[in-house]
Amino acid sequence: MKSVHSPQSSVSGSPTTSQLIVDAKNVSRVFSMPAGPVTAVRDVTLQINSGDHIAVRGPSGCGKSTLLHMLGCVEPQTSGTLLFDGQDISRMSDARRSLLRLKQIGFVFQRFFLLPMLTARENVELPLSEAGVPKQTRQKRAAELLEYVGLAARADHRPSQLSGGEMQRVAIARALANGPRLLLADEPTGELDESTGAQIASLLDRVNQAGTALVIVTHDPALADRAERVLMMRDGQIESERVR
Amino acid sequence: MNAIGFAWRSLVRQPARAALGILGVAAVGALLFDMLLLSRGLIVSMQDLLDRGGWDVRVSAGELPGSGLRISDAVDTAEAISRLPSVQAALVMRAATAQIDRASGQPLRASFQGATMRSADPAGSRLRAPWTILRGRDAEGADEVVVDEKIASESRLEPGSEITLRASCVGDLEALPATRLKVVGIAEFPFQTTNETTTGGTLDALKAACGGNVGTEADLILVTSTGDADETAAAIRTLLPEIRAATNTEVVGRLQQTGFTYFRQISSVLTTVTVSFAVLLITVLLTVSVNQRLGEIAALRALGFSRVRVVKDVLSESALIVGIGGLLSLPLGLLLASGLDRILKGMPGIPVALHFFVFEAQALAIHVALLMATAIIAALYPMRIVSTLPIAATLRDEVIG
Amino acid sequence: MRPGLLVRFLAVLGLGLVPTLATAQEARPADVLVSRQLAESENLTVGSVVRLATDAAGTRAREFRIAGIYEPTPDPARLGQVPRSVRLHLPDLLEMTRPVDVPAGAEYVSSVNVALVDPKDAGQFAKDVNARLPGVLALPAGEAAGSAGPFRVLERFHLAIAVVTIIAATVFLLALSIMLVDERRETVGVLRLIGLPVRRILVQILLEGLLVAGVGAIFGLILALLSEQLINQFFQWRYDTALVFVRITRDVALTCVAIAVPLGASATVVASWALLRRGGLRLARR
Repeated sequence: MKSVHSPQSSVSGSPTTSQLIVDAKNVSRVFSMPAGPVTAVRDVTLQINSGDHIAVRGPSGCGKSTLLHMLGCVEPQTSGTLLFDGQDISRMSDARRSLLRLKQIGFVFQRFFLLPMLTARENVELPLSEAGVPKQTRQKRAAELLEYVGLAARADHRPSQLSGGEMQRVAIARALANGPRLLLADEPTGELDESTGAQIASLLDRVNQAGTALVIVTHDPALADRAERVLMMRDGQIESERVR
Repeated sequence: MNAIGFAWRSLVRQPARAALGILGVAAVGALLFDMLLLSRGLIVSMQDLLDRGGWDVRVSAGELPGSGLRISDAVDTAEAISRLPSVQAALVMRAATAQIDRASGQPLRASFQGATMRSADPAGSRLRAPWTILRGRDAEGADEVVVDEKIASESRLEPGSEITLRASCVGDLEALPATRLKVVGIAEFPFQTTNETTTGGTLDALKAACGGNVGTEADLILVTSTGDADETAAAIRTLLPEIRAATNTEVVGRLQQTGFTYFRQISSVLTTVTVSFAVLLITVLLTVSVNQRLGEIAALRALGFSRVRVVKDVLSESALIVGIGGLLSLPLGLLLASGLDRILKGMPGIPVALHFFVFEAQALAIHVALLMATAIIAALYPMRIVSTLPIAATLRDEVIG
Repeated sequence: MRPGLLVRFLAVLGLGLVPTLATAQEARPADVLVSRQLAESENLTVGSVVRLATDAAGTRAREFRIAGIYEPTPDPARLGQVPRSVRLHLPDLLEMTRPVDVPAGAEYVSSVNVALVDPKDAGQFAKDVNARLPGVLALPAGEAAGSAGPFRVLERFHLAIAVVTIIAATVFLLALSIMLVDERRETVGVLRLIGLPVRRILVQILLEGLLVAGVGAIFGLILALLSEQLINQFFQWRYDTALVFVRITRDVALTCVAIAVPLGASATVVASWALLRRGGLRLARR
């Protein structure tokens, strides 16, 4: 696969020097349930710098996905502070948070969530279109990204015509469309076989090496082992952190 | 991709569902359009029918022309009216029942309309008859008559033919001798109903046909103004307070309060029901559609689509369904209107030339406005769903589901 | 023209009705009944003496005493018109309305209503009268309006509207059914994969469709009954009439259910049939 590093069309918009992107201090998330409140995340303190490669592991229900969602500004914290680029997320309006996700954060989901009525190219163009990128520019960018993930030849195919691995690669391309500084992946290989999962893992490594901070929630030990930092979570807390 | 483009792609993703939704809107929209045409159709048509005759004030003894009351000393009254400065011409009309003998079969029942054909002034200029000549010429003498197409075709009459006619100006029970009259023209009578047959001629011809037993009364005096019809009507009321003078607009206004009121009411009721029906059905369609795509919507929100954007997508989808369906509803509505018009014109006492459904630009504008409102109201609930969608919880549910 | 109709026109013209007190010396005036609407608009009460005439000039005016106030039978043909009417004894009406120079007019009426011992004899009775009395037209009351009577025409009109509404509802129903059936695509696919035949699944769907359609039809009927009350109350108030505008009879209700339930069930089956033609694996695959 070709890696794209030219200034005009870099995959990541991250600067070369390490910068603090996310600063989470004692963040908690409590859900109100009919049977009583459930603390999904409890007093987590975490810092993510540009270029970090972090894996979050733990048993089912330990709060990994909730933590990821909080880092991605789609789940508000119940307490604690969460700063993105020094700005308090909880004080931002919904519109500002949406803009943050559009331009600074990329999401990759276990279920891919590609829009079935759009082609691969159109799916990748979607965030660019929403960001107001002119048509020619976004078409060029989409083509570059699809080539980057090795799917230039499948650009005009719909998701129903792609395999699981191919769909996830398109999803990664889409997540990188606006050059985010932080890429969040929730079980990106959860619905893929081992071989395809390894391909996705390699692709994610390349994205990280290009400068994008990467946080992956995964059950897959092989995927987790590729990370520089592995956070073990249990009962909503970071039990341990292993640095490679 | 803008919201409309996105909505279009969402629609064509499920072509059968989209087509059915659009067709449903088209059918409901057609009914809505027809009810709007009906709400003023009779009024517009009646106004047109009245105005087409060229007479702009109608003088009668009753509240409405055709009430059964008669104007006494009608010819003198018409002369007095025609002397008013704002009056150009005044024509006296009287109707009678008649029977036309046929060579074989039962006599043909008809009505006989007699009218003064010459003005009261010394010049005695020819007045415009309250019917339209299709073939031949208008009646002038006491032995001349014009007949409608139905009589002409059933009795095989043409200008130049002769008919034997018995008329009664007082009541049905009179047995009068027959009168021989010459058919000089075939005419169209504007207020003739479907089952009626009509003949027309001068007042003298009517008198002769009734055996001289006419009296001085008349059913109606038609007046043409030199200028403003309202002024003319007011002048006539001042001159002759015991009779009623109404402009065409006032006649239509009174009909609106009485005979036409049912159709106005039914059109209001059906318009309300139709719009409510459309709102309900489109809301359900959109809501089910949105609920089936919650995961996608949550993913788009996670990717950075703003709340406003996803709401716009839903609104655009509603606008597309209603917009395309609304466009289709117009030709469908016009077709349906012609069918419904045919049904309603079967009502007794309705002039053939009167229509219940009349196209007006105003009705089209209201139709468009109502459809726009429908699209917006129907999208409100699904818009609320997407705008308040909990992103993380939805993504979690999708994984579990 | 019914007796009293001419006088109604006169009342509509707004003839001056001057309540006066009868003097003991005058003969007691004949009795009349006035409509409730006329009594309210002219502040008349039982016992008031009024003068009725055949024209606005008061020609041949006579005094009458109001013996009672009645509620006019609602006439749908006169919807929107306020029934300001008076009911006289026939001889009094004839005496007032006959042309002065036509004594025979005192016996002239426009129609006679006949109540038969056995209403089923109406057709034969009418035929006999027509045969024996030339110049008179006898019609059974039910046929008086004829096939083109206004209400028959309105019935056809409403039926046409109903047909269009049913078509629109059916189209929407089909669209919804397709969507709802599609939601269960995976479930159906799994059932097919584990060996359930198409027919078995269709029967299941049909039973569900019947249940939903049945419940929907009952709900619709309840809604219609509520609307019936509201519509009647509103229009009776609006037009100050006792006319019933909407009446849901047993036949109407049964007809609606007979249309709605099969339509609803069929829509579900038709929507499912299109789906079931695909293979189980294709259905179960996301």
